Formats: sequence, C-alpha cells, structure tokens
Amino acid sequence: MRAYNQTWIHNRAIVRQAVSWQRQGLLSPAQLTAVEAAYPVGFRQTNGFVEVGLFLFTTIVILAVYLLLLPLSSQLEDDRVAYGLINAGFGLGTGLVGNWLIRRRLLYRNGIDNAFVVLATGFLAFGVNQFIPEQVSLSTHCLLTLPLLLLAFWYYGDTLIAFLTVSVFYAMLFDWLIRFSWGRDALPFVLMGVSTGLYSLSRRPGRLFRDTPYYADGINLVQWFTLIVLLLCSNYYVVEELNGILADSARALNEVPGQGEPIQAPSTLGLPALFWLLTVVLPLILLWQGVVRRDRMFLILGMLGVIGTVATLHHYLHWVPGNVALTIGGALLTGLAVIGIRYLRINRSGFTDTPDDDTPASLLDNAAVVAAMQASASASTPHRPGMRFGDGSFGGGGSGDSY
Amino acid sequence: MSPDSIVSELGRQGILTPEQQSVITTAERQKPVSLHGELRSLLYLGITALSAGLGLLIYDNFEQIGHLSLLGGMAVGCGACLLYAWLHRPAWSTGPVSERSAFTDYALLLFCLLFLTLEGYAQYQYTVFGTRYGLATLLPALLFLPLAYRFDHRGVLGMALAALVSWVGVTVRPLQLYLKTNFFAQSIVLSSIALALVLIGGALLLERRAVKPHFTYTYLTIAGNLLLIALLGGLFNFTEQRLLYALALGVGCVAFDLYARRERRISAGRAGGSFLFLLMSAVYGYIGLTYLFFTYLHPTRWGDGVYYWYFILTGIGLVYYLMSQLPRGNRTTA
Repeated sequence: MRAYNQTWIHNRAIVRQAVSWQRQGLLSPAQLTAVEAAYPVGFRQTNGFVEVGLFLFTTIVILAVYLLLLPLSSQLEDDRVAYGLINAGFGLGTGLVGNWLIRRRLLYRNGIDNAFVVLATGFLAFGVNQFIPEQVSLSTHCLLTLPLLLLAFWYYGDTLIAFLTVSVFYAMLFDWLIRFSWGRDALPFVLMGVSTGLYSLSRRPGRLFRDTPYYADGINLVQWFTLIVLLLCSNYYVVEELNGILADSARALNEVPGQGEPIQAPSTLGLPALFWLLTVVLPLILLWQGVVRRDRMFLILGMLGVIGTVATLHHYLHWVPGNVALTIGGALLTGLAVIGIRYLRINRSGFTDTPDDDTPASLLDNAAVVAAMQASASASTPHRPGMRFGDGSFGGGGSGDSY
Repeated sequence: MSPDSIVSELGRQGILTPEQQSVITTAERQKPVSLHGELRSLLYLGITALSAGLGLLIYDNFEQIGHLSLLGGMAVGCGACLLYAWLHRPAWSTGPVSERSAFTDYALLLFCLLFLTLEGYAQYQYTVFGTRYGLATLLPALLFLPLAYRFDHRGVLGMALAALVSWVGVTVRPLQLYLKTNFFAQSIVLSSIALALVLIGGALLLERRAVKPHFTYTYLTIAGNLLLIALLGGLFNFTEQRLLYALALGVGCVAFDLYARRERRISAGRAGGSFLFLLMSAVYGYIGLTYLFFTYLHPTRWGDGVYYWYFILTGIGLVYYLMSQLPRGNRTTA
C-alpha cells in the first residue's frame, strides 16, 4: 500500500525506455504504440514550470489553513502535549487530504502532491517532537524523527523526503559525536565510513525499497548526497576548518559556568598525512571508477573532487598567486574540455560527445544563457570604480522587499 | 528498472521478437555514455574562470606590465577569439543552425567576456567614454546583438540583453538571484518598461518575419521579467500612479497568459516552455493583487485571522487555474 499507483510508475519506466528505443530505431512505431497500450500510465499531465507554481500556491493554502486553525486552540499552546497533538493532527489531516487529491486528481509529482507530502510530514514530525521532553539533545530529536521520515519515504518515495531523511540522519550523527572527545576526533572517519556504508546500501536497497521505479529518484539522491559527504569529509581543508569551528564552540561552551568537565577540542588535525593522501587519492579513485564502470555520477563527482583537490593544494602551498591560479586553472579546464570534445568526436572506450536521451538539451540551453549573463555581470562590474551604469545612483530598493 | 529487465518483460508480453530482444540487449550493452553535457559544463566553467582570472590578474598587475601593453595584449586576445569564431562561423540561416562547431560558440563567448574586461579597463584607466556611462553599457549590447544573430548564439543574446537591461539601470546576476536597481526613481521604472516593450515587440516582429524565431523565448523571458518586475516596482513605490501601474500589470499578466495559450495551441514543440509565461503571469499578478488587497481593503482590521481566507481562497483558485491549463489526458498519450 503506497501513496501513488505503483503499477503506473512501473509502466512509466517501461514506456520511457521504449520511447528511447524507438528514437534509436530499435523499435517500430507500431511496437511503441503496443507498449503504450499494454502499459498505461494514468497520471495527469504535468510540466516543470506549472509544478513550481502549484507547489507555491498549495503551500500558501495549507499554511493559511494552519494559521486559521491555530488560534482556535490557542489556550492549549502552553501545554506541549496538546500543542504536539494539534500539530501532528494537522499533519495527519494534511496527509489524508493530500492522499484524497492524489487519488482523485491522479497526481504524481505535480507540485500539489509534493507540497502536501512535505508539509504533512513536516507538521507530523514537528508535532511528534513536542511529545519529547524539552531537555533532550538535537541528536535524540533526530533519532526519534528518523523512523517517521523513513516511513514517509517508504510510503511516498518522494525525493524531498529522501533529502530530509539523509539530512536528519547526518545531523543526528554530527550532534551525537561532537559531545565526546573521541567523537570529535573520529568525526571525519565516522562520517566517511557511514557515507560509504550508506552508499553501498543504496546500491542494494533492501526488501523495503526494492520497487525500483518508485524509489529510483530518492535513492539516486541518497547516492549523490553520501558521495558528496564522503568527498568533503576526506578533504584536508574541510576537516581542518571543521576542527577550527569545533574548537571555537568547545571554547565557548567551556566558558559557560556550571559546566561539568571541560570539553576537549580537537587541538590539531590528527593524522594529517592520511588526510592529505585522501584529499588527493579519493577523487582520482572516483574518476577512475567512473571511467571503468562508465558511471556518470562517479565521473562528475571525481572531476569536481579533483578541482577541489587542486584548490586545497593551492590554499596551503601558494605556488602561485590566486589570480594566476584562477587563470591557469581556467585555461586547464578549458583545455581539458577541448581535448575531451575533440577526442570523443567518435565513440571511444564507451564514451561519446554526441548528445543522447540523458542529455538535458533544453536545460543546457537555458543554463548557458543564465551562465553567460552571470559571467558578463561578473566580468564587467567588480572592477569598475570609475564606471556607473545608466542612470547612476543605486538606491538599492529591491522589488519585492517592501512587501 | 534495468534495460535488461524491460527487454525480458516486453519479450514475455510478446511485443518484442526474440531477435529484437538480443539486438536491443547488445545495443544497450554497447551504447556509449554521452558526456556532451558534462564536457560543455567543464568548458563553460573553464572559460568563466579564465576570464575572471585574467580580469583579476590585469587589475593587480597593470603597474608592472604597463597600460598600453596590457590593453594591447587584451585586444590581441579579443581579436584572436573573434577571428577564430569568424573563420569557423556557421552558415547563415534565419532558423536555428544545427551544423556548428562547439568551439566557435565558446570562442565567441570568450571574446564577449574579454571585450567586457577590455572595455571596463579602458574606461577605468583612460575614461574613454568620459562621463557618458550609458554609452559604455550600450556599446557591448550593440556589438553582441548582431553577433548573437550571426552566430545563432543564445548565450551571447543573453549577454546583449543583460547589457541593454543594465543600460537602463538594472543589474542582473541570475545565479545569485541578484537584481540591483532603483525602482524608487520613476525614470528607471519607465525606461525599464519602455525597453522591455521594445524588446518584446521587436522579438515578436522578427518571429513573424521568421528571423531566428527560437530567440523569442530568450527575449520574452528576460524582457518579460524586467517588464513585470518594473511594473510591480511602480505599483509599490508610486502612490499617485498606483492604479495605472496596477492596470498595466493586469494587462501584462493577461497578455503573457494569452501568449502562453497561443504557443500551446500552435506549436507542440514550444508548449513545454510556454508554461514559464503562465507561471510568470500567475506569480507576478498574485503579488500585485495581494499588495493591492492589503493596501486598500485593510483586511487586518476585519477581525482575527479573517484575511487568511484571502490566501486560502485565492490559493485554491490559482491551483485550479494552473491545473486547468495543463493538457488533458494521462501521461501516456503525450
């Protein structure tokens, strides 16, 4: 029993693949028609821009209803249990109305249902957390919220819920570890280990999430998320900065009177050589695995990781001044891309430069316009002390600000 | 779902013959992974970093290098990029050009970025434009606009339009959701509206003449946002003309809505993008309407929380409206 029609989602995956095969000439149009007839998808049509608007306006409606109902129970607000019940009840009610709409209006990732799913889960989680005594730590709150979020992900398979779930999971781990001296020292290692573990788990989702098309996007997000955390936690710069922040917070906590034994801050980075090694090697491993397995995610993250490695090396070693580094780096990236595009004009070792179904063509076009405008603004504005635009003085009144 | 499991599923259904199954399985196994998007993103990143780095380098070192050699060097770089792009220019066509070299596009982009740096530096050091700042921002626009048409380059078109928009006093950095302007000055609001209307009119006229009709979308997105934001700015800031601005905003929103409907009716290929204009008219219109409602009807005085009903009812109305604009039928028939 899930929120959305599993058969339709399953069928949708098949039809999408069939459309792609037909475009490659592997299926005849008649066969595609047969596939579409055999695998109907009953969901309403949707569109990315309309989804944004529907999400926005549905959220406005739900929040307005919440604010309208809240004063009716204002006398109960001092009582945490009652307040929790009201919020959890509102969350449940939102979920029920959302389900009714999903079934009746045949919604699937339509903006309306996304708003209902996220707000229902949010109110429910907020309400449930009111039942927990106030003194408990953030990590306990996270721990008690996690089952609820997992349940919501199992039921809806929603990408945003997946994002919330992993975020809450990492927040729990972080908040729990920094309360122990050993935990602060072990923090990067634990996060690396857990990320690797979660990533491998997401490659083989258990029985609960096996219905792949239903959870595909959520699981994909978890994979990106965990690998990014892995790369960050193994980077020398990130770990050192994090240690600095932890040391500051420990110092601040120790200054509060009435504290028990003083909190030990991680004084310096333990095992610096290991982190230098990881900073350099891990992105290269990802890149290499990306080539071997022909895995897009590994390739992109490996490439970003290598850029991060170079930036880290530059930060500590100062071979050249920053502006030179930016120029050389830009030239190198441009050169790499040029070589890549030339090299992959014909298919080689399983890669090509020819766009295919996975290439987001229209997205790329729009992104190119946005990036060009952005770059032109950066190229022309920051160093123009002697230049002012058009009618000159900027009063700085933004558009929506007064509202 | 893996392609293999779909092949066997369709085989079981009798839709795929056994031979086809093996053909598709082999094709899937040998299918190369396309790095088209990744390589272009890398190129964009490299070019942006390169031009930013060069810009910084120049401003940090011009005393050692000497102004003239610096200007000369940049001019040479600029010229080289433009020359490369020109020598590898695509064939002229009034429609979209499909036969093109990837590097031409990026050489042109680099030229534009270098030109902006060069121009900024020349103005900074030699004040070549004197105090005619308007000219300094108009010049890149006048240069980039024909280049965008000749090279069929939507990124350069975006840069030209950004330069035009900053010419009337609005700076846009889309990635930071950044908009710097002064809509407290009536002149900036009015010139923004005028520029937006000219751009929209020009784009629609050129589309009617079948000159680069695929540019219309970029024009309408940039000029349309400028127009509606300027109208909202006028609505917020100028009490005396407020109803006039409100009326204009209403007309603008209805016009964009009608345009989006027309696009969906006449062209299936452009139906998806047309919903952006529907979204724009809904969101900007809603902001304007809500502002007017709270300014003139003072619903906060009606009693506790009565005005929440405004958000509930209008919200539901807009959700219904947006839903009704989506094409009928389920997703298979698309």
